[in-house]
Amino acid sequence: MSGPEPVVRTVNLVKIYQTGGVPVTAVDGVDLRVDPGEFVAIMGPSGSGKSTLVHMLGGLDTRTSGEIWLDGKRVDTLSESAWAVLRRDKVGFVFQFFNLVANMTVADNVELPALLSGATPRQARERREYLLGALGLAERADASPAQLAGGEQQRVALARALANKPSLLLADEPTGNLDSRNTRDVLRLLGEVHRDGQTIIMVTHDARVASLADRVVSLLDGQIVDDGAIPRPVRRPRGGAGDVVELRS
Amino acid sequence: MSALRASRRWIRADLRARRGQALLTVLAVAGIVTALITSATLLEDGTNPWRGLFTQTDGAHVWISAQDTADAGKLAGLPGVTGVAGPYRSAPVTLVQDGKKSPVALRALPATPPKVAHPVVREGRWLDSADPDGVVVERSLARATGLRLGSPFTVTALNGARHELAVAGIAETAEQGFYPEWTPGLAWVLPETLDRVEPAAGRSESVIGLRLADPESARLVAQGAVTLLAEKIQRVSTWREVRASMELDNRLLGLLLALFGVVGLVAAALAVANAVGGRVLMQSRDFATLKSLGLTRGQITGMLVVEHGALGLLGVALGLAGGQLVTMLVLDGAGLPLSLGPTAAIAAGTAATVLVAVAVPAWRGGRTPPIPAAPAAPPRGHLSKLARLALLVRLPPALVLGARDAFTRRGPALLTTFGVAIPMTMITIGLGCWATLDGFLDQPERVGQAAALTVRPGKLPAAEAERLIKADPGVAAYYPGSEVDALEPEQTRTVLARAIGTSAQPYPFVAVEGRGYADRGEAVAGQGLLDLLDVKIGDRVRVTVGGTPLILRIVGRVVEPDQDGEVLSFGLDSLAAKDAVPPEFYALVLKPGADPDETRARLLAASGQDLEVTRVENPAERLAVIRVVIVALIAVLALIGLANLLTASALGLRDHALDLAVLKAMGLTPRQVTATLVTGTGLLVLLGVLAGTLAGASVSSGLIDLQGHTSGVGAGIGRTPPAATLAVTMLVAVGAALLVALIPAHRAARSRVPLATR
Repeated sequence: MSGPEPVVRTVNLVKIYQTGGVPVTAVDGVDLRVDPGEFVAIMGPSGSGKSTLVHMLGGLDTRTSGEIWLDGKRVDTLSESAWAVLRRDKVGFVFQFFNLVANMTVADNVELPALLSGATPRQARERREYLLGALGLAERADASPAQLAGGEQQRVALARALANKPSLLLADEPTGNLDSRNTRDVLRLLGEVHRDGQTIIMVTHDARVASLADRVVSLLDGQIVDDGAIPRPVRRPRGGAGDVVELRS
Repeated sequence: MSALRASRRWIRADLRARRGQALLTVLAVAGIVTALITSATLLEDGTNPWRGLFTQTDGAHVWISAQDTADAGKLAGLPGVTGVAGPYRSAPVTLVQDGKKSPVALRALPATPPKVAHPVVREGRWLDSADPDGVVVERSLARATGLRLGSPFTVTALNGARHELAVAGIAETAEQGFYPEWTPGLAWVLPETLDRVEPAAGRSESVIGLRLADPESARLVAQGAVTLLAEKIQRVSTWREVRASMELDNRLLGLLLALFGVVGLVAAALAVANAVGGRVLMQSRDFATLKSLGLTRGQITGMLVVEHGALGLLGVALGLAGGQLVTMLVLDGAGLPLSLGPTAAIAAGTAATVLVAVAVPAWRGGRTPPIPAAPAAPPRGHLSKLARLALLVRLPPALVLGARDAFTRRGPALLTTFGVAIPMTMITIGLGCWATLDGFLDQPERVGQAAALTVRPGKLPAAEAERLIKADPGVAAYYPGSEVDALEPEQTRTVLARAIGTSAQPYPFVAVEGRGYADRGEAVAGQGLLDLLDVKIGDRVRVTVGGTPLILRIVGRVVEPDQDGEVLSFGLDSLAAKDAVPPEFYALVLKPGADPDETRARLLAASGQDLEVTRVENPAERLAVIRVVIVALIAVLALIGLANLLTASALGLRDHALDLAVLKAMGLTPRQVTATLVTGTGLLVLLGVLAGTLAGASVSSGLIDLQGHTSGVGAGIGRTPPAATLAVTMLVAVGAALLVALIPAHRAARSRVPLATR
């Protein structure tokens, strides 16, 4: 393939779990290429391997075989620690259950990645103030995560994932645990971030959520069964999905 | 560097979130270190004033009392002797103060202090020929009798003559132990003063101190001296006995503290490991999140070690300070602080223990897989057959569910049970010590103190004294007695020979082994004597009393709290008449319910203050400080137990926070949910408390007897705490545990947990 250097490229990526002696193939020979600025939704039924794929792309899980390239560098051979160091600058994660550090304030949660990647406390604070402000959470900086509603927590998680301007934002069912209003808010934010040029890979099983992306990759039993761009004009405002789409424009 | 800042933020946030637990860890470690430092100080002898005194006074290692002027020149020629003190003339006198009489040895020393064994003056001045009535009093005697500088010092000599002297100085010496444990008391006067008080040379003795090149050769030198002076010798004592007499109680305390400290350290390490392990389990999701943000495995381990290790080290530091403070307070500033070596060893040892206890769970924390999506769930299992059966027989479901939960996590369950059992064992042992002290007080006859009062006839003739004693309504029985010094067979040292009662009417000793003496020539002994002479019951020993050889058959062992158990007791009729008549004192056994103080007052009044009546000091009174120590230790151990409990309770809650909604959905009332949660922790605590109490009860009397044996008092003193006390302790422990578990469980059961977070 030609064109710009892809942010992520995988070659025949395979993940086999050994559960109780029985090998279970979660990801089965996935070749995926994501270019800078793309917003890819990965869809599929439960157990199709979509979360495992995203975890491997972020180094949270190890691959069984195959290659992973991140920003033109092969990363599947990295150790756990090297992956961790890499994640500080290159990868941001948003999870289904928000996963904010419960003991730390909202501000601390957002500043943590910046501090980790070597920013001074002052720089970290400025970046945090900017992000929380942009996400409409400036006044909740000193609250503890438990005091926030689900949608607010996920917005904080998003702010934290974006703290270091990562090359790649990985979102694993970011709206899976939210009601429709909060889903709408979080999706709007993802859209805005994407419009600013952020590369995003998002796992979802919700077609309405997936319709926000530029491209939808469908997984079934660990294999890519469909990979296609969503043509912009093909938007059928219909029911709940319409709300989401309406807001984007 | 960059990770440091992030780690610091996390640590600060985490500490803020669990202030109570952090404080508990610090306190528990500090308590243990305090106990260890205190015990090491006590064991190191730093608190034993002997060491300091001996150095300050350039003391003599061996002291020999002999009749007449012993030939000091010959003694000085003995191999290994580097210096000689004396010979000094010494005469027995009685110090009289408002009817109170104290036995004192008046010793003649020159106005210029000698080179070897010169008493150190603490107050006032040394003897001065310008003031022939001045007397310098040994400090413990002065303290016990309330003498101050300038106080009148009225003594009666053996001939009954009264002499008015005055206290010119108060001094300390390393030649004998403290009054009244070591009698007679000691006072120094000028030779001409002594000549005036006791002109008869036959009623005084010569005292010689020998300073040796090698302290270890004291026994050998003493033997040589005995050979030289033959039958003229009356008493021999070496520096070991003096040191032992000054340290006895400290040593016992030190051992007790050391035992508690070491076991407590293990318990504290368990508690810390349990706390950190529980914390790590609870935070596994946070660690996964941190890893997804870019923290490495090593950084997470490091962060945990730093956080929890710092708490432990803070505890160690506080404990070091606490140890210094406690030794200073308890020992009243006497003695030296613990030397650097042991302090460093204790600090390093506890720090290392704490760090290891922290490192293992921290390492596990670092290995948390970085996928934080699903909350880590406890291992699931089926209901056991036992649980099914329990449900079948309609035990409350909350109980069954809680019981099942208690063991789902095997490791933490074991840690919690042990963490409670170990402090409980030690608490039971502590209660055993307490019960032993109570036993001393309740049944003094078991420790050879059937008699509550000792009466010395003083000026009264024996017959008159006996008449007065017999007339008193409070007295059940009385036993004439004399305490004499007996030279042991090798004649290198003196043991106390106590002739008391007669073979027809023996003193009611309670023999722990063998039987009491019942015939002339039979004797009972304390463990210390048996060890010293290396004899056993049934053996014969030959001792020398006042120059007369005496052959005794040891027929029994009694508990002997005096003189490190180096006491031989037998009937007065076993003693040669010259040593036995008239009896030196009468031991009075009182009727049950008779108050010793009232009886004493009555006897004093009846005799017109001529009888000298003293209460027998119970060893438990001397050891009263042990009770304070026991209470303090129980507090520290309870803290450790509490720390374990909080961990278990928090872990249980965490495991079940998600089950709560399900349990409620299944139809359990909030109260049943609370009961389930409380049962989960309560069951482990109950197990731990039971195991700990059983273990403690089974070893406590054995341990105390072992200590009794080694200290010479003898086995047979150890008591198991009474069943009622144990039952109450267990109830309190379990009750407190349930209460601690109840509050968070109740709160959790009432809170609304969304099912969705599953």
